[in-house]
Order: sequence, then structure tokens, then C-alpha cells
Amino acid sequence: MALHDDRGVTARPGALVAVALWWMAASAHAEESASKGFYEIETKYIFGFTEGSGIGLEGEKEFSVDTIGRFGKRDGRYAATETKFEFEYTPNQYIQVEFGPLAAGHNIRGVTDLDDRHAITLSGFFGELRYLVFDRPASPIAVTVSFEPVYRAFDETGGERVENYEFETKLQADVELIKNRLYAAANLIYEPETTRVMSGDWEKESKFGLTGALSYRVLPELAIGVEADYYRHYDGLLFDTFTGDALFIGPTLYYKFARKMFLAAAWNAQVWGREVETSNRFNLAEFSRQRAKLKVAVEF
Amino acid sequence: MLKQLSVSFVIGFAACLVGANAASAQDTALQLTVQNGRFEPAELQAPANKAISITIKNNDAKSVEFESVSLRVEKVIAAKGQGTVRIRALSPGRYEFMDDFNQKNRGTLVVQ
Repeated sequence: MALHDDRGVTARPGALVAVALWWMAASAHAEESASKGFYEIETKYIFGFTEGSGIGLEGEKEFSVDTIGRFGKRDGRYAATETKFEFEYTPNQYIQVEFGPLAAGHNIRGVTDLDDRHAITLSGFFGELRYLVFDRPASPIAVTVSFEPVYRAFDETGGERVENYEFETKLQADVELIKNRLYAAANLIYEPETTRVMSGDWEKESKFGLTGALSYRVLPELAIGVEADYYRHYDGLLFDTFTGDALFIGPTLYYKFARKMFLAAAWNAQVWGREVETSNRFNLAEFSRQRAKLKVAVEF
Repeated sequence: MLKQLSVSFVIGFAACLVGANAASAQDTALQLTVQNGRFEPAELQAPANKAISITIKNNDAKSVEFESVSLRVEKVIAAKGQGTVRIRALSPGRYEFMDDFNQKNRGTLVVQ
């Protein structure tokens, strides 16, 4: 009787059956996975722009070229890239450090509020410290916190000479939904930055981000997935004045093409956005219409 | 409160930076042999919440690279050579390891 009267109770047997079926399927899948060569994988780079919790292996070094491109503004032609020439090192089983120079590329023509520009230049430096807070199997969800100070001599968006300091703080969490096959991740991002522009004034802004991704290994060396990234932009370092937000969605790819080499790629399109000061459909003042990422890395 | 948290984080973080590599007398010492391209034994046992040292003796004529994503270690051991990896205290579970030069050669560390 209670099963029909109480919506929560009627829902519970169905939910239990679903969980049991999922667990059985996942267990069977895990055994099948091992027999087909699906073993453990580093999760850091399998989610596109979203980062997994992995911090590498103690003593491992990696060099990578990691480029993010942003394409499309309200009008004109807009393409901007930022490339990290990144050295990554894991000194022990808890932390990872990364650092290296940045290069920026801009190809801008006829975009409102931006100067026309066609240039590629060394643009700054970055460092990153990652600390593994929770790891599997002690916790089903593995969590890493990262701190990334960045200095830029050229503006990310317009390419003009500036003095820019950014300090990105990120919580990166991931979980294995099906052992060694299906993974999910989420990032929580706080990114304050301050910029001295040509006039000598300091402009302060901050960004909040919440991203989520799924990645599935179709082959032992190949994972494909999808991610959704939501960002809010503010004037001021501590979310002082909301100016707009945007939602990006797109596919991701990870391919380990040699024993110590891999590439990670992602493409996102802005599917929804708003600017506080206009009624425009997308937020193209603070974000681009599309963005892409390509990282090629070699471990040694 | 915030100050105490900050101090404990800095001390813990510094301990992580300097204390993870040196083997100590309190470690659980395990032995692993590579023979004819196989780990022997293929399954190791260790107690939970105690640091572990695994000494790998390579009896083969080819180098091996002991590697594990979940243990977060890798070490190359020359042919006919020997090496030790130290692993942080682990929670109960199964941890895979392999020879990255011969990925069919795999084993498991069972922590309980």
C-alpha cells in the first residue's frame, strides 16, 4: 500500500534496481576491460579544458606544447592563441609543479573595440603548483587543488602591450564511473587578475568557472568525451560587479600515440551567453564564440 | 583558526615536499623479482596506513620499468640489476603495477 501512496517509496525499488544493474554492468565491464588491455590511465588530460586530478608519477618529467585558441567576436575577424611551453615535474607522490614561457598570437581585423593586429610574440611566464588532496581508492572522488600565477606582457584578448598578473586557483575532481573505461570530472575555478593598461591605470577583474566532463576510453590508448564549461565574469578581484557569463559545450579527445607521448584536444562552442550591458545573444565581450585546445606532450 | 589552518597546511606541505622519498625502518619491506618477463610474485600483500618499500630484482637480461599510476611511482631497473621504490602509506585496496617496457607483465599490490 505504502508503495503506491508514497512517491519516494515507489521510486526507491526502481532506483535500487537501476543501481544494481549499473553495478553489475560496471563490474562485468571492468573484468572485460582488463582482458582487453584497459588498465589504469592518468586522468589529468583526458577531459579537454577540464582537468582531472592526476599529478603524474614520482620523478616523472614532461615537456609539452599546449595551445588554446579563441575564435570569433561580434564582428570582424578574430583569432587569438596562447601557447604554453610547459615543463612539468612530479617531485613526490603528493605534488606536481609546472612552469614555462607563454607565446601569444593574434589575428584581428575589424573587431569593434579591438585594434587590428597580426602578431606572434613571447608574451609572459606561468608557474603552477598542484597538490593531491584526496585520491582513489581512499576516496571514490579524487581531488587536486592547483595554484597558477601568470605574468603577461601582452593582453590575452587584444594583444596590446600591458602588464597583467593572474592567479588561477582550481579544484579538480574526478571519478571512475566504470573502472578504467568511463570517467567524469568537474573543476571549480577562481581566477582573479589585474592589468595595467597603456594609460597607466590598473584594471581588476575576476572569473568564476564551473566545468564538467565525461570521458570514455574506446580503445586503451584513445578516449573521447564531452564537456560543458560555464564561466561568469566580474569587474573587481572578488566578484564585485557581474558583467556577463557564458556556457561552452564541445567534444574532447585524448590519444596516447606512443609509450611516452600523447595528445589532448578539445573544441568548444559558446551555446549560451549574456552581457549585462547589452541584450546580445552571446557574451562576446569577455569570451569568444569558439575555442579550441591542442596539447602534445612527451614524458621522460 | 585561519592562522592555525594555514600553519598546519604549510607544515604538512613542507613534510610532503621533503619526506616522501627516504625509506625508513618502519616501512613494510616487500620483494619482487622479474624472471622470464614476469613479476614473481604477481600479487603482493601489504598492511594499510604504513609506508611501503618494494625492492625489485631484475634477473632478466633486459631492463624493466616498474610503473604504477595508482601508486604514482616509476623506476627503471637495469638488466641483472636491483632497485627500490618507496610508496606512501596507502588505504586498503588493489593497486596495479606493470613493466612499462613489457606491458604484458603486470602485477597487483593488495593493501588491507
